[in-house]
Amino acid sequence: MEQTTFNTWKWVSLSPLPTWLLWAVGFGLLAAVLLASWGVRREPSAGKRVTLWALRVLAGALALFFLVEPGVRRLSVARAKNRVVVMVDRSASMTFPVEPKGATRSDQVAAALAELRSQAESLKDLYSVEWVGFEPELAPVSEEQLRKVPATSSRTDLLGALRAVAAGSSGNNRKLSGVLLFSDGADNAELKAGLDRAGESVLKELGAPISTFQAGKSGLPDIAIESVKVDDFAFVRSAITMEAEVSVRGFKGQTISVVLSREGQTVGKKELTLNTDDELQPVSFTFTPDQTGRFVYSLAATVMPQEAVVENNRRSFSLKVIRDRMRVLLVVGRPSWDERFLRGLLKQDPNVELISFYILINNTDLRSPENELSLIPFPQDEIFAKKLNTFDVVILQNFGYTDPQVSISAYERNVEEYVAGGGALAMIGGDRSFGEARYPFRDLGRALPVERAGNADVQPFKARLTPEGMRHPVTALATGARSTDAAWSAMPAVPGINLTRAKPGATVLLEHPFVNVDGKNAPVLALWDYQKGRVLTLATDGSWYWAFPSHASGAPTRDYERFWGNALRWLVRDPDLTTLQVTADPPSVEPGRPVGVAISARTPDYQPADGAQVTVELISAEDGSKAGLQEVTTSADGTARIEFPAMPAGAYRIVGKAKKGGKSLGEAQDVVAVRAVGPELADSRVDGALLEALAKRSGGKAFTLPTVNLRDVPLKEPPLVEVGRAKDEPLWDRWYWLALLALVAGSEWLLRRRFGYV
Amino acid sequence: MPRRRLSFHRRALLAGLSTLPWAKAWAFGEASDFVPAMAQHGGKWDARASGLRRVAYELQRRTSVEVVLEARPMPLNSPKLFEHPFLYLGGQGELPAFKPAEIEVLRRYLTFGGFILADANDASDGTDFDAGFRREMARILPQSPLTPLPQSHVLFKSFYLLDTVPGRVLKKPQLDACWLGKRACVIYSQNDLLGALNRDEGGTWEFECVPGGERQRDYAMRLAVNIAMYALCLDYKDDAVHLPLILKRRR
Repeated sequence: MEQTTFNTWKWVSLSPLPTWLLWAVGFGLLAAVLLASWGVRREPSAGKRVTLWALRVLAGALALFFLVEPGVRRLSVARAKNRVVVMVDRSASMTFPVEPKGATRSDQVAAALAELRSQAESLKDLYSVEWVGFEPELAPVSEEQLRKVPATSSRTDLLGALRAVAAGSSGNNRKLSGVLLFSDGADNAELKAGLDRAGESVLKELGAPISTFQAGKSGLPDIAIESVKVDDFAFVRSAITMEAEVSVRGFKGQTISVVLSREGQTVGKKELTLNTDDELQPVSFTFTPDQTGRFVYSLAATVMPQEAVVENNRRSFSLKVIRDRMRVLLVVGRPSWDERFLRGLLKQDPNVELISFYILINNTDLRSPENELSLIPFPQDEIFAKKLNTFDVVILQNFGYTDPQVSISAYERNVEEYVAGGGALAMIGGDRSFGEARYPFRDLGRALPVERAGNADVQPFKARLTPEGMRHPVTALATGARSTDAAWSAMPAVPGINLTRAKPGATVLLEHPFVNVDGKNAPVLALWDYQKGRVLTLATDGSWYWAFPSHASGAPTRDYERFWGNALRWLVRDPDLTTLQVTADPPSVEPGRPVGVAISARTPDYQPADGAQVTVELISAEDGSKAGLQEVTTSADGTARIEFPAMPAGAYRIVGKAKKGGKSLGEAQDVVAVRAVGPELADSRVDGALLEALAKRSGGKAFTLPTVNLRDVPLKEPPLVEVGRAKDEPLWDRWYWLALLALVAGSEWLLRRRFGYV
Repeated sequence: MPRRRLSFHRRALLAGLSTLPWAKAWAFGEASDFVPAMAQHGGKWDARASGLRRVAYELQRRTSVEVVLEARPMPLNSPKLFEHPFLYLGGQGELPAFKPAEIEVLRRYLTFGGFILADANDASDGTDFDAGFRREMARILPQSPLTPLPQSHVLFKSFYLLDTVPGRVLKKPQLDACWLGKRACVIYSQNDLLGALNRDEGGTWEFECVPGGERQRDYAMRLAVNIAMYALCLDYKDDAVHLPLILKRRR
């Protein structure tokens, strides 16, 4: 027979009567005793009166005893094990040293855990102890892991980790008796600003005391770029201000410098004088980007020899510089209707800032004194020597002079270099342009996609789309090649053409239907990429016929506006009109993370380039060295994605080249910033106040490492539960209880008679 | 008023140009040239044909604009009208009402970039041509009534710096204009602007300019040149680069 071991007992009533009846009888007995006592209230002898009262109360109590039938229930019980969670911060800030050149915070925690593990042995009957690290996801952790595997998490989210513990993410559903949190408290998520109401509700939900163990020490000497505030994009040639906060501890009285640089080139420098040992100094830089595109900027503070952490002295960010408004320079040989309608279009376009110069006179017979005229000298030097690079597009409309006062002959080389360096040029025909020009444009001519081929032909003609023109975005007046062809066919005839011939490499989009040059139809609209720039030529001064005479029939049309809009967008390399796009994804990469690049390739007719071979180079923007090279083939939608392995901190230029079937699909660039440190490592500060607040509000205690004493850690006691069987032992069925009742009742009866009562 | 000497830079600018054979470029046609068109309406429309030719001639002589001297008579419902963005609409006496098709064409002509110089050859005010023209403009652009052109408008500095609006007479101190956005698409003179420039068959001025005589005629010529330059260059002289010099010269 199985022997049951009982380790506790309790009083019980073994009466078969229901509880309510026991209560009723009990009250009845009490009333009887009181009534009996009332009967002897006039007894003059206090001794007699008390004796009778005592006997009657005792008799009542004994009667009740027999009614209730008391007994002892013997039990076998045990305590249910609760869980205790030991949480260790695995964010990257735990790699900071406790002291300069000393062990890391993780090492300090590892030593504490070893001590704690031995102390926890004594509590193993009461608690199930879980050892987890949070990154912020929970994962098992050991002392060896803490010592050998550096903490890398880019975020410290104490509240998120506590929520995971409350939800039982570790898979243990036992009740929680307590949390032992080992951290530096440097939260950069919800508790960044301290413990708030949302945090307190999480502590309430947790329902167990949190005892915190602060790793690391406050007050380490350190300089850190704490925060950088700058817009995601800036406008070219417009000033932008970036603001940063530099956190400095331990360098009172010294001066440090903060330098802003763009891909190795210094943009600005500021000196900061430190008045106290712990301060947060704001610093701002106002600068004016001079080029469009995406660039990596870095902010770097002086590195001091005593610093605990030097990686957080530098911080990079990428800035996209876009065009506020397209700045267009229009230089016109003489007023004409072609000029009038182009000007009207450009002035109406809110995206265009137009700067124009017209040659208004060509003789001296003005018949008026100079001060009665509104004429100004043609400022060639100002435009073509000093400010040429401030324009996104230069349009030379019917412009070609030999006279030095109105010619740009002395600045031809400047214009050619402007285009070669990435500028955009449109040359429009007329009676003073191309073959009709008084000046041959020998230097600038190199940048043009066409060359003069004789005198103009003045027969009216309808410009005809070439096969290239049907697919090109500049001539795309409608969706699809057929609609575009129909739109051009519906355009009115233009009255004449400057005869030119296309150079090898030029793309002719519109041609003369019957006038030939060297056996080919004379080009009307031609374009090409000249080194880094783009050039477009329109060999007629009759494009205004597409603007005004086209309305003669009454059908409204905006084809002229659409054509010039397309042309300008192509000239300034509108991202939507490039055939290849490479985009850093994301534009700023946290340390240790791969560098992602998204690729989109299109064919010259702007259809997705399926199966295009794309080569992507990663080049250091600071020293030009090649950091990586990958090749990829695009999918059916013309896209692909590649990843370079984690790169050292710095700025990198991503250069993509695509080809399909041996033909180039173009080149594209972007930049990416690999951060030296993310926000996690930007500050080596220890937030003991947050740890204390967590402990205090949850009912725990706050400790500072290396002190670890588990006996001082408040933990909720686990509850008791019955296990096995119970055994009842009656107490009332003893003979002496009955004898006592008989004795008391008999004595009371005897004494009452003796004292003279009935 | 004595003429001032030309500054060095202006002399340099102009000297070389004056020697160039600009009579006509290497035969590129007339498409972008200033070809004045003259509106053929039901009234007396061609009384100032000689004056319009004179405007073209002076424009060619004084500016770099290439012109065709002979004005093109243009029926108001002609599709060819849209090859001539500058239209002179003058008249003497009553102006018969335009046909609905003509109204439609003129509305489209102005809306899409055309320019009309209207001129009351009879210098009427509230009667005859003036009444008829105002009536017809109210039909063509009912949303854009004729309003006085402010003296600050770019037309008064598009080539010459002007502050008067003379014609054969000086009855009205201002021009009137119809506006489409910021563009004055119709300029209307009640001072018989081209009457000051009309010559008879013998080549002499057909009318006296009153009250200012030949000086008034010269300013009428300048105004006509400015109007043509405004039609060709729009608000070019409002560009910021011109303002300092213009303000200095206006002082």
